[in-house]
Amino acid sequence: MSHPEQIIPHGHILRYNLRERLTHWVAAASYMYLLATGLAFWSPWLFWMAVILGGAPVSRILHPWAGLIFFASVWMMYVMWAPQMKHTDADRKWWAAVRYYSTNQDDKMPPAGRYNAGQKFLFWGFFWSAVALLASGVVLWFPEYIPWNLRFLRYLSILIHPAAALFTIGLFMIHLYMGIFAERGAFGSVIRGDVSIAFAKRYHPGWYDEIVGESSSPRK
Amino acid sequence: MSQATLRVQKISGHAGSVPGEDTQREFTVCKLIDTTTCIGCKACEVACVEWNDLPFGETVFDNTYQTMPQTRWNYWNLILFNEHEREDGSLMWLMRKNQCMHCADPGCLAACPADGAIVQYTNGIVDFQQANCIGCGYCITGCPFDIPKMNPKTHRVFKCTLCTDRVSEGLEPACIKSCPTGCLHFGTKDDMKDLAEKRAKQLREHSNFPNAGVYDPPGVGGTGVIYVLHDASNPEIYGGLPSNPHVPWTVKLWKGPLKWLGNVAMIGGLIGLFVHYLRYGPKAREEEDIGPGGTKT
Amino acid sequence: MTNGWIDIKNTDMMLIMGGNPAENHPCGFKWPIEAKRTRNAKMIVVDPRFTRTASVADLFCQIRAGSDIAFLGGLIHYAIENNRIAKDYLVNYTNAAFIIKPGFQLPGDTDGVFSGFDAKTQTYDKSTWNYAGADGSVIAITEQKVAEVGAHPEPASPPPALALPEKLAYDFSLQHPHCVFQLLKKHYSRYTPEMVERITGVPKEQFLKAADLFTSIRKNGDMKKAGTIIYAVGWTQHTSGTQIIRTAAILQLLLGNVGRAGGGVNALRGHSNIQGATDMAGIFDILPGYLKVPTPTDTSFENWMKRLTPKPAKPLAWDSFNYWSNTPKFAVSLMKAMYGDAATKQNDWAFHFLPKVDRNFSWAYIWDNMYRGIVKGIFAFGMNGVAIGPDSQKNIDALKKADWLVVGEIYPDETSEFWKSPGITADEMKKIQTTVYRLPCAGFAEKDGTFVNSARWLQWKNAALPLPGDAKLDQEILARIYLKVRELYQKEGGKFPDAILHLSWNYTNPQNPALAEVAKEINGKALADLEDPLTKQQIKAGQQLPGYAWLKDDGTTLCGNWLYSGSFTEAGNMMARRGTEDPSGLGIYPNWAFSWPANRRVLYNRASCDAEGKPWDSSRKQVWWSEATQKWAGNDVPDFKADSKPKDHMGPFIMNPEGVGRLFVPLGAMADGPFPEHYEPIESPIENPLHPQQSTNPVVKKFQTEADKFGTAKDYNIICTTYRLTEHYHYWTKNNPMNVQLVPEPFIEVPAELADKMGIRGGEVLKVTSARGVYQAKAMVTKRIKRMTIDGKETYQIGIPIHWGYRGIAEDEGKTARTPANSLSPTVVDPNAYTPEFKGFLVKVEKA
Repeated sequence: MSHPEQIIPHGHILRYNLRERLTHWVAAASYMYLLATGLAFWSPWLFWMAVILGGAPVSRILHPWAGLIFFASVWMMYVMWAPQMKHTDADRKWWAAVRYYSTNQDDKMPPAGRYNAGQKFLFWGFFWSAVALLASGVVLWFPEYIPWNLRFLRYLSILIHPAAALFTIGLFMIHLYMGIFAERGAFGSVIRGDVSIAFAKRYHPGWYDEIVGESSSPRK
Repeated sequence: MSQATLRVQKISGHAGSVPGEDTQREFTVCKLIDTTTCIGCKACEVACVEWNDLPFGETVFDNTYQTMPQTRWNYWNLILFNEHEREDGSLMWLMRKNQCMHCADPGCLAACPADGAIVQYTNGIVDFQQANCIGCGYCITGCPFDIPKMNPKTHRVFKCTLCTDRVSEGLEPACIKSCPTGCLHFGTKDDMKDLAEKRAKQLREHSNFPNAGVYDPPGVGGTGVIYVLHDASNPEIYGGLPSNPHVPWTVKLWKGPLKWLGNVAMIGGLIGLFVHYLRYGPKAREEEDIGPGGTKT
Repeated sequence: MTNGWIDIKNTDMMLIMGGNPAENHPCGFKWPIEAKRTRNAKMIVVDPRFTRTASVADLFCQIRAGSDIAFLGGLIHYAIENNRIAKDYLVNYTNAAFIIKPGFQLPGDTDGVFSGFDAKTQTYDKSTWNYAGADGSVIAITEQKVAEVGAHPEPASPPPALALPEKLAYDFSLQHPHCVFQLLKKHYSRYTPEMVERITGVPKEQFLKAADLFTSIRKNGDMKKAGTIIYAVGWTQHTSGTQIIRTAAILQLLLGNVGRAGGGVNALRGHSNIQGATDMAGIFDILPGYLKVPTPTDTSFENWMKRLTPKPAKPLAWDSFNYWSNTPKFAVSLMKAMYGDAATKQNDWAFHFLPKVDRNFSWAYIWDNMYRGIVKGIFAFGMNGVAIGPDSQKNIDALKKADWLVVGEIYPDETSEFWKSPGITADEMKKIQTTVYRLPCAGFAEKDGTFVNSARWLQWKNAALPLPGDAKLDQEILARIYLKVRELYQKEGGKFPDAILHLSWNYTNPQNPALAEVAKEINGKALADLEDPLTKQQIKAGQQLPGYAWLKDDGTTLCGNWLYSGSFTEAGNMMARRGTEDPSGLGIYPNWAFSWPANRRVLYNRASCDAEGKPWDSSRKQVWWSEATQKWAGNDVPDFKADSKPKDHMGPFIMNPEGVGRLFVPLGAMADGPFPEHYEPIESPIENPLHPQQSTNPVVKKFQTEADKFGTAKDYNIICTTYRLTEHYHYWTKNNPMNVQLVPEPFIEVPAELADKMGIRGGEVLKVTSARGVYQAKAMVTKRIKRMTIDGKETYQIGIPIHWGYRGIAEDEGKTARTPANSLSPTVVDPNAYTPEFKGFLVKVEKA
């Protein structure tokens, strides 16, 4: 299957279309807000963040709504990307070689498709965390309406919500690090949507091959 | 709230040290409710509404003498009526005045993320400061007695203050003042405990209540409101008074280990990534020309 | 109350029956609780429902409404059988030893009535209800019969002369077969535990538990302990109401509990000032201070006094104070208070200005007469006549026929808006011609004056709030009406103006007399210089009297109510005193307010001592004979002749001419028998197991209008009783949002077993129907009323709180407007006190 339409002039390939990019940034913005307000409620030492974001009561009111927006964008990503995020044999090999990846020895990595196994993990990690955050978040949103005999839901939620959030924070830190610091080009791709052919060849050879419709051998 | 003579010893969601923390308590105050002499007259309910100037709400008939199913944000003091059949077939009509228990280890305060929204004074009173409340409702989850209630309009949580404004001026709480039978007492925790134990002993020896006892649950560090019960072995019959209340373990896990773990992980993660960057740097440093759009980055 | 609220803390044993003090007297109920807490006192509650009071009782018995005499009679039987009686007390302080006339017969021997019954007139010839004389001499005491409705007896017809013998025959061994004790024993021997179970529905074992517990205070004849009986309108509101209370009095005399701290027979008053209303003659057949009203046969002051003033009747060796021998002093002083200078010896102390009451003007009779078009108008002040019933619809229909209605109230109520009672059509409304005048009255917090509580304390209160809007004080409204009426009499003459024109009205502000001024008048003052011949103490003319001992029958004193004399003396307003000293620790508080009579807290307190004058219980010393001073001394004011030596054997019950407590009530004091007998309520599920041929009270007469319908067990199978709730106060508090929040709407308490049987769920609307009316409300299904077996028959009781009607916050919003609960109750009254039978009538229950 080849997608020559994705090859754009000047040696670039369209990696994310506008819809994908918009979704990403809606998710990113809402997540940033959720992170700031969430951390404010997490630790008294960070409570000032809620205060500067319009006051803690406002934060409490907006946090759940931001959460809904975040979840909606994650859901959109699920709709867009889930088929591409399936775990494959290549991913298994990728994980086996992850130590090379983390030490920047990318030439020793098995070829990855549009998304490498780490990205897929990020995706599914965010997706399932978002589901958990939504479920527990709804309970925490309206604790007064949870009947006393269903109070275990509150008890569960109050644990699940921060645990899931913490997990996303870990993912988020790696995501940010990879996107901004480690993989030069990745950040621009999610702003403008394109990457250089070299970038594609280097990091996502499988995907590159798919687009140009020819076999691409690992870079020597 | 008048806090003229009240010193704080615990503060919710507070960064840094607490002014009154670990100070020697001169005494803690305590309300004793002798359920065996309560007649369910609701004078305490009315006194509470009147003293605290709580707005009236609508109630509906619910096949009971009980005013409403549970306390409300504007109804902090509610007598629970329960019909209970004893093993010998005789009937008991149990009446228990339900309100904030003013736990020594308050779950509401532990769960609260808002700085200063919940405080515990050195006299043991746990008090909500609605000015600092953010309306998150975590206190509702933290409370093992189902006491804090949210005003849906203002998103602020309310509960019995043990009439801090009266107590700080040397008066007893309004409910105590209004009780006609003297089933309510107010004093120091030690005195009330003593009085309660004496009454329980009297009930065991002179009435047909061999299991009479005092309810001062250790799971929450003891409470600032204690009960004398006809049957202390079965507090659940008094409208679901928990037999062994404690702050929910998930709240404890969340506010304890998870908090430490989370903080360590977050800070550790940041440091780790920083170190990683220093050690390995960016992935494609040697191929800067492959930046998106062909521009140099 | 013979005792008082606080005194209950001194008790060892409480029988609470026919009352629900935890519910209706929560403030006073602190004292029963105090007795439990400090004395380990036991509490037995007997009630048709498991009430709030029952919730703190040691023992609860569910009784069928209207079977109280059977239960109490069973207790009497048990006490006598088990010798748990106060023998010395009985012999010395009651008429147990007195011999009854030979012709007297008990209902057990005569098909259910006492001797002398005339079935045709439904009245008793009471001549056999008398003591046997020791020497045959008699003193004439005439009995005045109250005429029947609307009848005008010939004033000239001489009343039948009945008399107590002056010297009584007795047997102090209590063995004489016709002595009161033996008759009592025989009478109540029929009230076996089995019979009690058949009638009351209280299982035999449960009854025996209660009987054993209550009489345990007299185990082995020990006199130290004291037990109290506490009741309220759950006893009075029956067609045998007065007799139920009599049964309690007999039981207390048997156990030697009357006059003692922690003892007595204690009526709980359901209004803040119902005791005051009674003391001040809020009843048609008495004047202030319980002086009986003159009747047409009292042709002169002297005749009237002759009828009212008893002579001592006693065993020869005994003494009797016979305090009512002072009646003329009280009566003359009252006439001086009413008519001042217009009451002179020459004009019989204005006796002829007094109305002579020739018929029954009690509550139910007034409304019956209005219903029949005889009474044309009514003043309803602080009294919601329609709602308080009985038979609300009859009362509504009565008001429709009246020419005018004046209502003095703080809210519009069911009475002032009778013309829009539920179910009325626009056409019907148009036909009503009654003119309704609404006068704005003041609420209790806006008035000063006194409340007289159950403990007989006159407590002065100050106004807490100014009068709102156009509201006027009661005394201003009444004074202005009086002055206007007087003006009309002055102008137009009229049939008999003297009684109005000569009324003493010497108030500083005649338009609005200050209540303190009225209180001083009620206390009484000297009209001439007085001197006590013994102490030489002097009182100048115009000075307030220190007490009723100073009252004279020569017109030199004035007193509005002899019982209240001492309440407002030269020393000031005794009712406003707030001294909290209680040196004896018995809760006497002698310097708190004023307790009638003579600031005495426990009545008959001479009986708290043995015959030698030593207290039965040295830890509760109320009064005692002091050898040193040769006088009675005490922590309380001795209810006795201060210098009467114990060896003179004066009886402690000084208001009776016998000087002793009456197990047997002689002559005309009771309409329906010298001993209480169980009669079924007028509407009852069974025939009286004691005597089916005379099931109900033989002297109870039914009203005869078409509204007076009665149901039978065939059509109406459920017993219904009515009551109040703590959360509401009669029919006012449905105007107060706080009370409405506490209990928002009416309900019907239904036994869970009946609900199961009928498939009723809590909250479902029920329709309750009696022969007279219909009531609808939601069901409260509860285990607190249980199925009963009455004389072998499965029987259920339901209960209806009375507080709702068609005027109030919720009612005005159209939520719960409905007929009052008393639409169901029958207009049939007790023959002694004329109290309607609100408790225990028949209904049927359906899902609405």
